[in-house]
Amino acid sequence: MQDILAALRGKTEQAEVYSLEEESTLVSFEANVMKSARVEQKQGTALRGVVKGRLGFTAAGGNMAKEELINNLLASAQYGDEVPISFPSASTGPQVTTYDPTLGDVPFSRLVEIGREIIAVLLEADADAKIGVDIERGLTQWSLCNSAGTQARQQKTSFSVSISVERVRGDDVLLIYDWVNGISLTDAYREAMRHLATKIELAKKSASLAAGRMPVLFSPVGGLVLALPIMQATDGKSVQRGISPMSDKLGQTIFDRKMTLWDDPTLAGRPGSGSHDGEGVPCRRKALIQQGTCNSFLYDLKTAALMGTQSTGNGARGLFSPPYPSPSNLVMEAGKSSLTEIMADIKHGLLVEFALGLGQGNTISGAFSNTLGLAYVIEGGEIVGRVKDVSIAGNIYEHLREVAGVSQESDWVYGQIKMPYILLPELNVTCKG
Amino acid sequence: MDCDRIESALRSSRADYVEFRSERRQVTRIVYQGRRLETVDTTIDEGGIVRALVRGGGWGISTFNSLDNLEHRFDQAYESARVVQADPISLAPVAFAHDEIRATLGTDFRQVPLAQKKELIESYNDILLSFGRIADTQAVYMDEFVTMTYGNSEGAFIVEERPMVTVGLVATAREGSNVQRAADGLSVPAGYEQVLGMEETARKVAQRAVDLLSAETVVGGVHPVVCDPKLAGVFIHEAFGHLSEADFVYANPQAQEMMVLGRRFGRDILTVVDDGTLPGMRGTHRYDDEGTPTRRTELVRQGVLTGRLHSRETAERMGEIVTGNARATGYRYPPIVRMTNTFIECGETPFEQMISGIKLGVYACDAIGGQTMLENFSFSAGYGYMIRNGHIAEMVKDVVLSGNLFSTLQKIDAIGNDLTFSHFGMCGKGQGGGLPVSTGSPHVRIQDVVIGGR
Repeated sequence: MQDILAALRGKTEQAEVYSLEEESTLVSFEANVMKSARVEQKQGTALRGVVKGRLGFTAAGGNMAKEELINNLLASAQYGDEVPISFPSASTGPQVTTYDPTLGDVPFSRLVEIGREIIAVLLEADADAKIGVDIERGLTQWSLCNSAGTQARQQKTSFSVSISVERVRGDDVLLIYDWVNGISLTDAYREAMRHLATKIELAKKSASLAAGRMPVLFSPVGGLVLALPIMQATDGKSVQRGISPMSDKLGQTIFDRKMTLWDDPTLAGRPGSGSHDGEGVPCRRKALIQQGTCNSFLYDLKTAALMGTQSTGNGARGLFSPPYPSPSNLVMEAGKSSLTEIMADIKHGLLVEFALGLGQGNTISGAFSNTLGLAYVIEGGEIVGRVKDVSIAGNIYEHLREVAGVSQESDWVYGQIKMPYILLPELNVTCKG
Repeated sequence: MDCDRIESALRSSRADYVEFRSERRQVTRIVYQGRRLETVDTTIDEGGIVRALVRGGGWGISTFNSLDNLEHRFDQAYESARVVQADPISLAPVAFAHDEIRATLGTDFRQVPLAQKKELIESYNDILLSFGRIADTQAVYMDEFVTMTYGNSEGAFIVEERPMVTVGLVATAREGSNVQRAADGLSVPAGYEQVLGMEETARKVAQRAVDLLSAETVVGGVHPVVCDPKLAGVFIHEAFGHLSEADFVYANPQAQEMMVLGRRFGRDILTVVDDGTLPGMRGTHRYDDEGTPTRRTELVRQGVLTGRLHSRETAERMGEIVTGNARATGYRYPPIVRMTNTFIECGETPFEQMISGIKLGVYACDAIGGQTMLENFSFSAGYGYMIRNGHIAEMVKDVVLSGNLFSTLQKIDAIGNDLTFSHFGMCGKGQGGGLPVSTGSPHVRIQDVVIGGR
């Protein structure tokens, strides 16, 4: 790495070398039986450089000749974006654990046991279910050095379990899944497994619903309908491009006071955590939405430079694309009431467990219109059964102004965002009779 | 790749079956965002996969960037296969192929200077920006040249060059908090000449984004809907095509019952086909990623389910014909059952006749997304128009179609005489990144569709 950086000195005004190495083991179960085992090895190098004020980028996977890589970078910089970017100098970031040295010692047979355990428990909930499980253990190491003197290095372990359940009965199909991740082998998969078992049970009874306006409760997974437009609007890139409806709302109260959303890279044991982002900028915790007020956006170096502000330490990167702003771990702050209390107030309403078509519509505008993959009817504070062929529609900038309840209970959704249950007092629900 | 090295490793493996696939992928991208030239870059990725099958075991897979120590990767795949305790897996027989497929390009994009490519995409971007109220654009030029090498222990050895050239255009119009987007593009396994002359496409995209600013949100309800070829093509891929993939049914007796061959899915006018041999399309290859020749498979013929898509494993398991539909998104992934080019066969109803009897309905155009939960589906049209008294009326936005697949297919009561293919699709099933597919359809009329909205 240092040799590439040295070779770029004189050819560039600023330069950066990023290298990535990954190893992982994946065990897959399909339709209740073990199917395959995969070992993956991955390595590559990405370069950025500024030439005559223009920023270039290139990347290569595998073993590539240094000269070719450097030539590709210089060609890219010739046409690159003119951006007043400064690669950061060395700095210290928050101390946070992202590496579990014991994960590598977990025997392969333990991974297989986990798969078997999950399948056994879910088959108990429904003997006809077809269950797929992927268990993956990985180690990622990246290092970064730049011409300003930064030499960052990060080691991360990851352990993830994804579970899918498919149950066909006549023309009736139930398809649900969950995904948990962490840096260690923990019991989190058992929680996901139990949640799925509960969903299978609850879906066995069907219920009917008359279309109209009614209170709608979003489960943590269902709540992605509401969170996704916020995630897009607080992305520094949307702000910089002038398409975020929040771009001129900093400091303004736009949602109910019960709504607070954190970007928190300091959480121990979360794969999104870290001391530095992928550009070597120290990470820090910040509220994007604080008690309903628009508080902060997420920037990487480039979007920050274009906006005349500082990077928030949210420069994420894959090997083959330049860095881009991305949340670390998102946490929607839990509320004061228990789920039972919130449910008790619903005389007649809907619980959204899983929505189809996320991100399909005009999400950036806050609009949502989703068919529900899994939803239950609530009568007198109790779930009475699954309802199908139901859609919801609205706009978060209208409907999150008044939130009726936020639960104490919250859950990691697909390893990315921790969400409580959120109750909207009234939403339009369309049904097909 | 060194052919002898691969063949020697294939021969010396202890696995009962083993295959090797490697790729070298060179990608050039030019991206404009608004007035800003966001990036011009070339990336190179090279790597391989070994997949082994062991009797009494299962599939063992090793993927890697370094092609230095191939024997070690073959061993890793073999050892992985041994620790899997799967149900017995066997593969449908396929005559092994020895073939070399070189790309034939009109104008080889690798020979076109970067400056010329930049000028081209800049000119399209300028058209987008020339419309008032366009707040943001994204104009992407991309070319990709992949050299794929495949070999298996049964003697197959295939080298294939896979080119792809792409132009994608997005325009975002904004008026206060009203933000509207429109997009179109073209992506084909062909030469540079294919992405020239797209000025009209750019104008239409920008105009549509601007027009959407003043369009009303469609009023929710149950309506007759006419889908344009783009939307109908995506619909048949997403809502029906995925159910025809044998990996969905082969291990699930209930699903087999649901998708039993001979079951009626639609009226006589409905025929649905997957065809990996159509020249110039995104899903076209001479062989799939298991070395099986591709073919035309009728999934639905005159309303009745007549076929499904297979890999060698699923075909053997179900005792059906192997169809050449095992495809992988890249060297990091083993092949799984995927579609190629999927379409609704041409019908007889002219468009005017199709809308003439509709008092109040929706003409839904373009797809910006679609998701299905098997029998339930949800599709977002890019834009739409109300149909009033047999005529196309005002433009509407936020048109989301949803419903039950089985009843919806039965309610297709008119199929147009204007089959059109769309070459921009990426199928996101299961694996990282997308797999190129083409979709096609004539205009299609469906009765009683749930339209989400206010």
